[in-house]
Amino acid sequence: MDILSHLTPMFFALIAAGTSIGIIFGAIPGMTATMAVAVCLPLTYAFGLENGIALLLGLYVGGISGGMVPAVLINIPGTPSSITTTFDGYPMAKRGEGERALKIGIVASVFGGLFSAAVLFFFAPVLADFAIKFSYVEKFLIILLALTVIASLCSNMLMGVFSGVLGVWLSLIGTYSITEGGNGEPRLMFDFMQYYLIDGFSLLPVLIGIFGLTTVLLDAEKGFKDETGQGPISLKGGAKFRFSVFKGQLLNLVRSSSIGTFVGILPGVGGSAASVLAYSQEKNFSRDSSQMGKGAPQGIVSSESSNNALTGGALVPLLSLGIPGDSTTAILIGAFTLQGIQVGPLFIGNNLDTWYLMIIALLAANVLMFGIMYFAIRHIARVIEVPKYILYPLIIMMCVVGAYAINYGIMFDVWTLLIFGVFGWVAHKIGLETVPLIIGFILGKSAEVYFVKSLESYGNYSIFFTKSPIAMFLWVLIAVSLAFAIYLRVRNRRQASVES
Amino acid sequence: MKAIWNKTCLAVVASAAIGISASAQAADDCPLPGNLRVVIGSTSTGGDTYQNSSIVVDRLADKLDINAKVDAVGVMPGFQALERSRHGNTVMIFHDGAYLGNLYGVNGYPDIFSKFIVGPTIAINPGNAYLVPKDSPYQSMSDIIEAAGDGKQIKVAIQPGSVSEIGFSALKNAVRMKYPGKEGNIVAVNTGSQADKNQLLFDGAVDVINGSVQANEQYTQLPADDQKAMRFVWITAREKTIAETDEAGMGDTTREQLLQYVTPNVSVPMAADQDFTFDKEFFFLYNKDMDPAAIECIDDALAEIYDEGEIQQQQKRSFFVPDFKPSQEAASYLEEKNDQYKTIISDLNG
Repeated sequence: MDILSHLTPMFFALIAAGTSIGIIFGAIPGMTATMAVAVCLPLTYAFGLENGIALLLGLYVGGISGGMVPAVLINIPGTPSSITTTFDGYPMAKRGEGERALKIGIVASVFGGLFSAAVLFFFAPVLADFAIKFSYVEKFLIILLALTVIASLCSNMLMGVFSGVLGVWLSLIGTYSITEGGNGEPRLMFDFMQYYLIDGFSLLPVLIGIFGLTTVLLDAEKGFKDETGQGPISLKGGAKFRFSVFKGQLLNLVRSSSIGTFVGILPGVGGSAASVLAYSQEKNFSRDSSQMGKGAPQGIVSSESSNNALTGGALVPLLSLGIPGDSTTAILIGAFTLQGIQVGPLFIGNNLDTWYLMIIALLAANVLMFGIMYFAIRHIARVIEVPKYILYPLIIMMCVVGAYAINYGIMFDVWTLLIFGVFGWVAHKIGLETVPLIIGFILGKSAEVYFVKSLESYGNYSIFFTKSPIAMFLWVLIAVSLAFAIYLRVRNRRQASVES
Repeated sequence: MKAIWNKTCLAVVASAAIGISASAQAADDCPLPGNLRVVIGSTSTGGDTYQNSSIVVDRLADKLDINAKVDAVGVMPGFQALERSRHGNTVMIFHDGAYLGNLYGVNGYPDIFSKFIVGPTIAINPGNAYLVPKDSPYQSMSDIIEAAGDGKQIKVAIQPGSVSEIGFSALKNAVRMKYPGKEGNIVAVNTGSQADKNQLLFDGAVDVINGSVQANEQYTQLPADDQKAMRFVWITAREKTIAETDEAGMGDTTREQLLQYVTPNVSVPMAADQDFTFDKEFFFLYNKDMDPAAIECIDDALAEIYDEGEIQQQQKRSFFVPDFKPSQEAASYLEEKNDQYKTIISDLNG
């Protein structure tokens, strides 16, 4: 078989190198898997298609996985899709279980990655045909379903919903871009702001501003001296990692991986929606979700398995329709076209060897990611032992560099980081809830585009309810998700009053 | 210890100085900085603008012995970076969308001919196309024009304000010329990516989509009973442009087959005796204050690169048609093109 001739030591060395570099990119706040793949794309000229793909898929898997490291250790999501990892990862790290949290995340990640690779291999063409049943209407309803997580996550319903709406509002600042079928007109700003805000606020600087810089400011306010009790967090203490933590988590793993894979299949919906959806479903439907948000392993499991499952899912439309499932796979199209290979519905049939090699590379990247991270994590986790007065200036520096680099050198992105860092600090003081706010910000723009385009394409509001059986099913899920969130809130309040 | 530290510092400073002088010297015979930033009007590193730019910029950097990097910053940040770069550290590569955005009145698109210096053209993407579902009743553009004239509404999925819209405007103009007052039957459904346009066709929400030979050719090979199957009805490129592509064409569609979809085999009239055609061309843009010697230097370097003949092979492999015109020739050519499309757009606007 021709394929065996491509499975050279170089092939696997490039997957390992890609995975390692990807983990580093993912672990640095502001650097993403997309950026790692974009930076290394020109190298595919030199390596040829097979080896180039090996490198890029390694970067993709590593980049997505590495995002959990700062999410757990310093409460900054390394990539937007690891936002939900912070909810439980950081509380675990604070009680000395950083290494445990990371190992749970790694195992969940490798499960999600392998699950989606298997789905990709066995069902890609069938799933691609299913994915095209999802028009603007269904995609809007999926975003709406993801937004229902706000009801589950906020500690004060009214303030949480307000914060979520504020996040959506902030996401709409800028122009309704013509590249999204909009009119290109600026809105929600004064004329003098247009120069800077014509493309709105970038997601990554907002994210690392609100999560990273705000944390630094809040801690700085308390003071960093060891004698004040604000010294480094210890790695010792707290429970140790055991594989038995996954007992009872099979349903969570499979459901979250399925959600991640499925969201990946839908072009444009995005990885953040995958982890937010998976987290909210676990929160609503697990037997005991009372500890979620306070350091529960099940939260990390749902978040990390879903965001890694996105990798295989996003390759489904790429390889079966020639349509990228997310921003990173959009760059992979570049790797194919640079080599003169056409992607589209006939890609798999016309390029069987490349197809098999991609599956092998994806599996190998996940296994290598597990090997590299599982055994290196003990040392990586020690970052938490660095005193904050040393660690935080380094974090700020990395955040600034990451914000500047994310859109290839836009200085306003650095200002965005600083503005939202201070905004997050003020929000904390006045009781705004930053998690619903950021979820509203992440999902707001997609919600707008899909909502407006649904109306433009079909012309009336009733289409949201009558478009298809899938749309009706999604409405049922939205209703059930909201009902569960309200039920849980009422139950918890009753329990609290009984206990008091 | 102190001595070692001092020596290390000295070594670092010396290396930096050598690096700086080497970088400055690299472009001594050409008044360009040693590090050239090339911004493009697209945020995608998987699209044709990035692909085309990186092919040209890599060779340009080798030829001039400078460091050059393509940054996919997008339209507005690209124009802004260009505006700030008075010393030629940043140049831009974009396509006809640069002036079409202005003609369509899109916010933030300046008149590039007055605000910047138009540099050399480098290549054409000949693939701008219009497609219908394989089982569509419309077999040709003439069928579509006739249907609109008969009062049938034809929905066309496009991305507004750029290359995607100009073919739509031409179609509308053709209906206006043949059936005055009926051009309103050609309706734009504004959307974004190619995936979105395809999806609208799969949903049956539009009759025609704008696409490309590269992105949509495989869909045209699917059997008619497949929901995703499509058919080309029009490729906007000139006949001579398609004739310059590889004989093998793209995928399973040969050049001969592609030629069936261009004028004169397909007619979308622009005037009584002229069909509309549109080649998507890529070109450089410079800051208004860019040193003319630097512009000449890039022109000369590109002329040498194209004379060597290797770049043409690379461009053709990626389904681009090599198209080098030095700055002055390119500027007057593109301005003429701009004026031609301006007429169509203003006629439609009344």
